Amino acid sequence: MTSPLIRFALAASLALSAAPALAQTQLSDGQILQSLQGFTQTAPAISAEQLRQLVQKHMAQYPGEALTRPNLALDLDKLPQINVQVQFRLNSAIIDPASYGTLGSIADALHNPILHGYKFIVTGNTDVTGPRDYNLKLSQARADAVVNALTTVFNVSPNRLEAVGLGEEVLIDAKNPTSPVNRRVQIFTVGRVGPTPAPIR
Amino acid sequence: MRGIRILLAATLLAGSAVAANAQTISYGQAGALLAKSCGPDINKLCPTVNLGGGALQACMDAKISQVSAKCQADYAMATASIAKRDAAQDAIGQTCNADAARLCQGMIPQDGNLLSCLLEATNVVSAACNQAITDAGYR
Repeated sequence: MTSPLIRFALAASLALSAAPALAQTQLSDGQILQSLQGFTQTAPAISAEQLRQLVQKHMAQYPGEALTRPNLALDLDKLPQINVQVQFRLNSAIIDPASYGTLGSIADALHNPILHGYKFIVTGNTDVTGPRDYNLKLSQARADAVVNALTTVFNVSPNRLEAVGLGEEVLIDAKNPTSPVNRRVQIFTVGRVGPTPAPIR
Repeated sequence: MRGIRILLAATLLAGSAVAANAQTISYGQAGALLAKSCGPDINKLCPTVNLGGGALQACMDAKISQVSAKCQADYAMATASIAKRDAAQDAIGQTCNADAARLCQGMIPQDGNLLSCLLEATNVVSAACNQAITDAGYR
Protein backbone atom coordinates (compact mmCIF):
# COMPACT_ATOMS: atom_id res chain seq x y z
CA MET A 1 0.00 0.00 0.00
CA THR A 2 1.28 3.46 -0.88
CA SER A 3 1.93 5.81 2.01
CA PRO A 4 -0.42 8.82 2.09
CA LEU A 5 2.64 11.03 2.48
CA ILE A 6 4.18 9.76 -0.75
CA ARG A 7 0.88 10.22 -2.53
CA PHE A 8 0.74 13.75 -1.16
CA ALA A 9 4.31 14.49 -2.30
CA LEU A 10 3.50 13.13 -5.75
CA ALA A 11 0.41 15.34 -6.00
CA ALA A 12 2.44 18.34 -4.90
CA SER A 13 5.13 17.71 -7.50
CA LEU A 14 2.48 17.30 -10.20
CA ALA A 15 0.97 20.61 -9.17
CA LEU A 16 4.39 22.21 -9.40
CA SER A 17 5.09 20.82 -12.83
CA ALA A 18 1.68 22.02 -14.04
CA ALA A 19 2.42 25.62 -13.07
CA PRO A 20 5.11 26.49 -15.64
CA ALA A 21 3.09 24.92 -18.46
CA LEU A 22 0.17 27.17 -17.63
CA ALA A 23 2.38 30.22 -17.42
CA GLN A 24 3.79 29.41 -20.85
CA THR A 25 0.43 29.29 -22.63
CA GLN A 26 -0.65 32.58 -21.06
CA LEU A 27 1.88 34.82 -22.80
CA SER A 28 1.65 38.40 -21.53
CA ASP A 29 1.88 41.53 -23.66
CA GLY A 30 4.94 42.46 -21.55
CA GLN A 31 6.78 39.29 -22.61
CA ILE A 32 5.85 39.90 -26.25
CA LEU A 33 6.97 43.54 -26.03
CA GLN A 34 10.25 42.46 -24.43
CA SER A 35 10.92 39.87 -27.15
CA LEU A 36 10.12 42.09 -30.13
CA GLN A 37 12.14 45.17 -29.19
CA GLY A 38 15.82 45.82 -29.86
CA PHE A 39 15.86 45.70 -33.66
CA THR A 40 19.26 46.81 -35.00
CA GLN A 41 20.17 47.82 -38.53
CA THR A 42 22.93 45.16 -38.54
CA ALA A 43 20.28 42.44 -38.88
CA PRO A 44 20.00 41.10 -42.44
CA ALA A 45 17.14 42.71 -44.38
CA ILE A 46 14.40 40.19 -45.22
CA SER A 47 11.07 40.58 -47.00
CA ALA A 48 7.96 38.43 -47.00
CA GLU A 49 8.48 37.71 -50.68
CA GLN A 50 12.07 36.52 -50.09
CA LEU A 51 10.89 34.14 -47.37
CA ARG A 52 8.23 32.67 -49.68
CA GLN A 53 10.84 32.13 -52.39
CA LEU A 54 13.20 30.43 -49.94
CA VAL A 55 10.40 28.02 -48.98
CA GLN A 56 9.60 27.25 -52.63
CA LYS A 57 13.28 26.66 -53.44
CA HIS A 58 13.73 24.38 -50.43
CA MET A 59 10.68 22.30 -51.37
CA ALA A 60 11.93 21.92 -54.95
CA GLN A 61 15.47 21.06 -53.85
CA TYR A 62 14.47 18.47 -51.21
CA PRO A 63 11.43 16.57 -52.47
CA GLY A 64 12.04 13.53 -50.19
CA GLU A 65 10.29 12.29 -47.06
CA ALA A 66 10.20 14.58 -44.04
CA LEU A 67 12.74 12.60 -42.01
CA THR A 68 15.31 12.42 -44.83
CA ARG A 69 15.50 16.10 -45.73
CA PRO A 70 17.17 18.97 -43.87
CA ASN A 71 15.28 21.70 -42.08
CA LEU A 72 15.09 24.98 -43.97
CA ALA A 73 17.61 27.27 -42.25
CA LEU A 74 16.36 30.84 -42.37
CA ASP A 75 18.95 33.40 -41.34
CA LEU A 76 16.63 35.21 -38.94
CA ASP A 77 18.43 34.70 -35.63
CA LYS A 78 19.48 38.35 -35.40
CA LEU A 79 15.88 39.60 -35.59
CA PRO A 80 13.85 40.19 -32.42
CA GLN A 81 11.27 37.40 -32.41
CA ILE A 82 8.78 35.35 -30.45
CA ASN A 83 6.96 32.02 -30.83
CA VAL A 84 3.27 32.23 -30.04
CA GLN A 85 0.91 29.30 -29.60
CA VAL A 86 -2.30 30.26 -31.39
CA GLN A 87 -4.95 27.52 -31.38
CA PHE A 88 -6.71 26.87 -34.69
CA ARG A 89 -9.52 24.45 -35.45
CA LEU A 90 -8.30 21.12 -36.85
CA ASN A 91 -7.13 21.39 -40.48
CA SER A 92 -8.49 24.91 -40.69
CA ALA A 93 -7.39 28.54 -40.46
CA ILE A 94 -10.22 29.39 -38.05
CA ILE A 95 -8.72 30.79 -34.85
CA ASP A 96 -10.09 29.08 -31.75
CA PRO A 97 -11.83 31.60 -29.46
CA ALA A 98 -9.50 30.40 -26.68
CA SER A 99 -6.73 32.32 -28.46
CA TYR A 100 -8.54 35.67 -28.79
CA GLY A 101 -6.87 36.87 -25.59
CA THR A 102 -3.42 35.98 -26.97
CA LEU A 103 -4.18 37.94 -30.15
CA GLY A 104 -5.18 40.91 -28.02
CA SER A 105 -1.92 40.66 -26.06
CA ILE A 106 0.04 40.71 -29.32
CA ALA A 107 -1.91 43.85 -30.27
CA ASP A 108 -1.13 45.44 -26.89
CA ALA A 109 2.58 44.93 -27.54
CA LEU A 110 2.39 46.22 -31.14
CA HIS A 111 0.49 49.33 -29.98
CA ASN A 112 3.15 50.19 -27.41
CA PRO A 113 5.18 53.29 -28.40
CA ILE A 114 8.38 51.22 -28.14
CA LEU A 115 7.26 49.12 -31.13
CA HIS A 116 5.06 51.68 -32.84
CA GLY A 117 7.64 52.61 -35.49
CA TYR A 118 8.32 49.02 -36.58
CA LYS A 119 6.95 46.48 -39.02
CA PHE A 120 6.69 42.74 -38.52
CA ILE A 121 6.43 39.46 -40.37
CA VAL A 122 4.00 36.88 -38.95
CA THR A 123 4.82 33.32 -40.00
CA GLY A 124 2.66 30.22 -39.78
CA ASN A 125 4.19 26.77 -39.25
CA THR A 126 2.70 23.27 -39.24
CA ASP A 127 4.16 19.92 -38.19
CA VAL A 128 4.79 17.26 -40.88
CA THR A 129 1.43 15.47 -40.51
CA GLY A 130 -0.46 15.62 -43.82
CA PRO A 131 0.67 16.52 -47.36
CA ARG A 132 3.48 19.05 -47.64
CA ASP A 133 1.74 21.33 -50.19
CA TYR A 134 -1.43 21.34 -48.10
CA ASN A 135 0.58 22.33 -45.03
CA LEU A 136 2.15 25.22 -46.90
CA LYS A 137 -1.30 26.53 -47.89
CA LEU A 138 -2.70 25.94 -44.40
CA SER A 139 0.20 27.78 -42.73
CA GLN A 140 -0.24 30.77 -45.07
CA ALA A 141 -3.99 30.85 -44.38
CA ARG A 142 -3.33 30.69 -40.63
CA ALA A 143 -0.76 33.49 -40.72
CA ASP A 144 -3.22 35.51 -42.85
CA ALA A 145 -5.98 34.91 -40.27
CA VAL A 146 -3.76 36.20 -37.45
CA VAL A 147 -2.77 39.32 -39.40
CA ASN A 148 -6.40 39.89 -40.43
CA ALA A 149 -7.61 39.72 -36.81
CA LEU A 150 -4.82 42.03 -35.62
CA THR A 151 -5.51 44.65 -38.29
CA THR A 152 -9.33 44.56 -38.42
CA VAL A 153 -10.31 43.80 -34.82
CA PHE A 154 -7.37 45.10 -32.80
CA ASN A 155 -6.57 48.15 -34.96
CA VAL A 156 -2.95 47.41 -35.83
CA SER A 157 -2.04 49.31 -39.01
CA PRO A 158 -2.01 46.91 -42.01
CA ASN A 159 1.21 48.43 -43.39
CA ARG A 160 3.07 47.11 -40.31
CA LEU A 161 2.22 43.43 -40.79
CA GLU A 162 2.85 40.78 -43.43
CA ALA A 163 1.89 37.12 -43.26
CA VAL A 164 4.09 34.28 -44.55
CA GLY A 165 3.28 30.57 -44.49
CA LEU A 166 6.41 28.47 -43.93
CA GLY A 167 4.55 25.16 -44.14
CA GLU A 168 6.39 22.27 -42.48
CA GLU A 169 9.82 23.50 -43.64
CA VAL A 170 11.04 25.17 -40.43
CA LEU A 171 10.59 22.77 -37.51
CA ILE A 172 11.73 23.74 -34.03
CA ASP A 173 11.86 20.07 -33.01
CA ALA A 174 13.25 18.48 -36.18
CA LYS A 175 13.91 15.18 -34.34
CA ASN A 176 10.18 14.91 -33.61
CA PRO A 177 8.67 16.34 -36.81
CA THR A 178 5.10 15.42 -35.80
CA SER A 179 5.42 17.09 -32.39
CA PRO A 180 2.79 19.76 -31.72
CA VAL A 181 5.52 22.24 -30.65
CA ASN A 182 6.25 22.63 -34.36
CA ARG A 183 2.77 24.07 -34.93
CA ARG A 184 3.25 27.71 -34.11
CA VAL A 185 3.00 31.30 -35.14
CA GLN A 186 6.17 33.38 -35.06
CA ILE A 187 6.49 37.14 -35.11
CA PHE A 188 9.69 38.83 -36.30
CA THR A 189 10.56 42.52 -36.09
CA VAL A 190 11.88 43.25 -39.59
CA GLY A 191 12.49 47.00 -39.75
CA ARG A 192 11.30 50.51 -39.25
CA VAL A 193 8.18 51.81 -40.90
CA GLY A 194 7.72 55.40 -42.09
CA PRO A 195 10.15 58.31 -42.08
CA THR A 196 12.15 59.38 -39.02
CA PRO A 197 9.96 61.76 -37.02
CA ALA A 198 10.99 65.41 -36.64
CA PRO A 199 12.56 66.45 -33.31
CA ILE A 200 10.17 67.88 -30.70
CA ARG A 201 10.15 71.67 -30.62
CA MET B 1 -19.53 74.42 6.38
CA ARG B 2 -21.97 71.63 5.75
CA GLY B 3 -22.52 72.99 2.22
CA ILE B 4 -18.81 72.77 1.47
CA ARG B 5 -18.64 69.19 2.71
CA ILE B 6 -21.50 68.27 0.44
CA LEU B 7 -19.92 70.15 -2.44
CA LEU B 8 -16.59 68.40 -1.77
CA ALA B 9 -18.28 65.01 -1.68
CA ALA B 10 -20.10 65.79 -4.91
CA THR B 11 -16.85 66.86 -6.58
CA LEU B 12 -15.08 63.71 -5.42
CA LEU B 13 -17.92 61.58 -6.70
CA ALA B 14 -17.97 63.36 -10.04
CA GLY B 15 -14.19 63.08 -10.28
CA SER B 16 -14.19 59.36 -9.62
CA ALA B 17 -17.05 58.87 -12.06
CA VAL B 18 -15.04 60.60 -14.79
CA ALA B 19 -11.96 58.53 -13.99
CA ALA B 20 -13.96 55.30 -14.07
CA ASN B 21 -15.58 56.36 -17.32
CA ALA B 22 -12.22 57.07 -18.97
CA GLN B 23 -10.73 53.82 -17.72
CA THR B 24 -9.92 51.42 -20.53
CA ILE B 25 -9.01 47.74 -20.55
CA SER B 26 -6.21 46.24 -22.64
CA TYR B 27 -6.75 44.56 -26.01
CA GLY B 28 -5.66 41.31 -24.34
CA GLN B 29 -8.35 41.66 -21.69
CA ALA B 30 -10.96 42.52 -24.33
CA GLY B 31 -10.01 39.43 -26.36
CA ALA B 32 -10.11 37.24 -23.24
CA LEU B 33 -13.52 38.66 -22.29
CA LEU B 34 -14.87 37.83 -25.75
CA ALA B 35 -13.46 34.31 -25.51
CA LYS B 36 -14.87 33.72 -22.03
CA SER B 37 -18.38 35.04 -22.58
CA CYS B 38 -18.85 34.12 -26.24
CA GLY B 39 -16.53 31.14 -26.81
CA PRO B 40 -19.28 28.50 -26.34
CA ASP B 41 -21.73 30.43 -28.57
CA ILE B 42 -19.09 30.95 -31.25
CA ASN B 43 -18.14 27.26 -31.18
CA LYS B 44 -21.80 26.30 -31.51
CA LEU B 45 -23.22 28.94 -33.87
CA CYS B 46 -20.28 30.16 -35.98
CA PRO B 47 -17.58 27.46 -35.87
CA THR B 48 -16.34 28.04 -39.45
CA VAL B 49 -16.07 31.81 -39.25
CA ASN B 50 -12.94 33.79 -38.41
CA LEU B 51 -12.59 36.68 -35.97
CA GLY B 52 -11.16 39.16 -38.47
CA GLY B 53 -12.76 41.27 -41.19
CA GLY B 54 -16.16 41.55 -39.51
CA ALA B 55 -17.05 37.93 -40.39
CA LEU B 56 -17.62 36.75 -36.82
CA GLN B 57 -19.70 39.76 -35.89
CA ALA B 58 -21.87 39.33 -39.01
CA CYS B 59 -22.42 35.63 -38.25
CA MET B 60 -23.30 36.27 -34.61
CA ASP B 61 -25.62 39.14 -35.63
CA ALA B 62 -27.43 36.85 -38.05
CA LYS B 63 -28.05 34.36 -35.21
CA ILE B 64 -28.61 36.91 -32.50
CA SER B 65 -31.75 35.20 -31.16
CA GLN B 66 -29.65 32.14 -30.28
CA VAL B 67 -26.79 34.12 -28.70
CA SER B 68 -26.77 34.15 -24.90
CA ALA B 69 -27.56 37.43 -23.15
CA LYS B 70 -24.16 37.35 -21.41
CA CYS B 71 -22.36 37.06 -24.76
CA GLN B 72 -24.43 39.83 -26.33
CA ALA B 73 -23.57 42.18 -23.48
CA ASP B 74 -19.88 41.27 -23.30
CA TYR B 75 -19.40 41.26 -27.09
CA ALA B 76 -20.64 44.87 -27.12
CA MET B 77 -18.46 45.65 -24.10
CA ALA B 78 -15.32 44.13 -25.68
CA THR B 79 -15.91 46.01 -28.95
CA ALA B 80 -16.50 49.29 -27.10
CA SER B 81 -13.40 48.70 -24.94
CA ILE B 82 -11.21 48.17 -27.98
CA ALA B 83 -12.51 51.39 -29.59
CA LYS B 84 -11.99 53.27 -26.33
CA ARG B 85 -8.42 52.05 -25.88
CA ASP B 86 -7.67 52.89 -29.51
CA ALA B 87 -9.06 56.42 -29.10
CA ALA B 88 -7.12 56.87 -25.84
CA GLN B 89 -3.87 55.85 -27.54
CA ASP B 90 -4.57 58.19 -30.47
CA ALA B 91 -5.40 61.08 -28.12
CA ILE B 92 -2.00 61.13 -26.41
CA GLY B 93 -0.26 63.04 -29.20
CA GLN B 94 -2.70 65.93 -28.95
CA THR B 95 -3.19 65.91 -25.18
CA CYS B 96 0.53 65.67 -24.35
CA ASN B 97 1.78 67.98 -27.10
CA ALA B 98 2.43 70.99 -24.83
CA ASP B 99 3.99 68.79 -22.12
CA ALA B 100 6.29 67.18 -24.67
CA ALA B 101 7.39 70.58 -26.02
CA ARG B 102 8.02 71.83 -22.47
CA LEU B 103 9.76 68.75 -21.04
CA CYS B 104 11.25 66.73 -23.90
CA GLN B 105 12.50 69.39 -26.31
CA GLY B 106 14.87 68.32 -29.09
CA MET B 107 14.03 64.62 -28.68
CA ILE B 108 13.33 62.57 -31.81
CA PRO B 109 10.17 60.79 -30.73
CA GLN B 110 10.76 57.14 -31.53
CA ASP B 111 11.28 53.75 -29.83
CA GLY B 112 9.16 54.90 -26.90
CA ASN B 113 11.62 57.55 -25.73
CA LEU B 114 8.98 60.30 -25.64
CA LEU B 115 6.80 58.16 -23.39
CA SER B 116 9.82 57.47 -21.15
CA CYS B 117 10.49 61.21 -20.97
CA LEU B 118 6.89 61.94 -19.96
CA LEU B 119 6.80 59.06 -17.47
CA GLU B 120 10.00 60.26 -15.80
CA ALA B 121 8.50 63.73 -15.55
CA THR B 122 5.15 62.47 -14.17
CA ASN B 123 5.27 64.90 -11.21
CA VAL B 124 5.41 67.96 -13.48
CA VAL B 125 3.33 66.62 -16.41
CA SER B 126 -0.18 68.11 -16.74
CA ALA B 127 -3.03 66.15 -15.20
CA ALA B 128 -4.69 65.73 -18.60
CA CYS B 129 -1.56 64.22 -20.14
CA ASN B 130 -1.00 61.92 -17.15
CA GLN B 131 -4.61 60.76 -17.46
CA ALA B 132 -4.20 60.21 -21.21
CA ILE B 133 -1.13 58.01 -20.59
CA THR B 134 -3.07 56.00 -18.02
CA ASP B 135 -6.09 55.59 -20.31
CA ALA B 136 -3.83 54.42 -23.14
CA GLY B 137 -2.48 51.66 -20.89
CA TYR B 138 1.10 52.91 -21.16
CA ARG B 139 1.84 53.16 -17.46
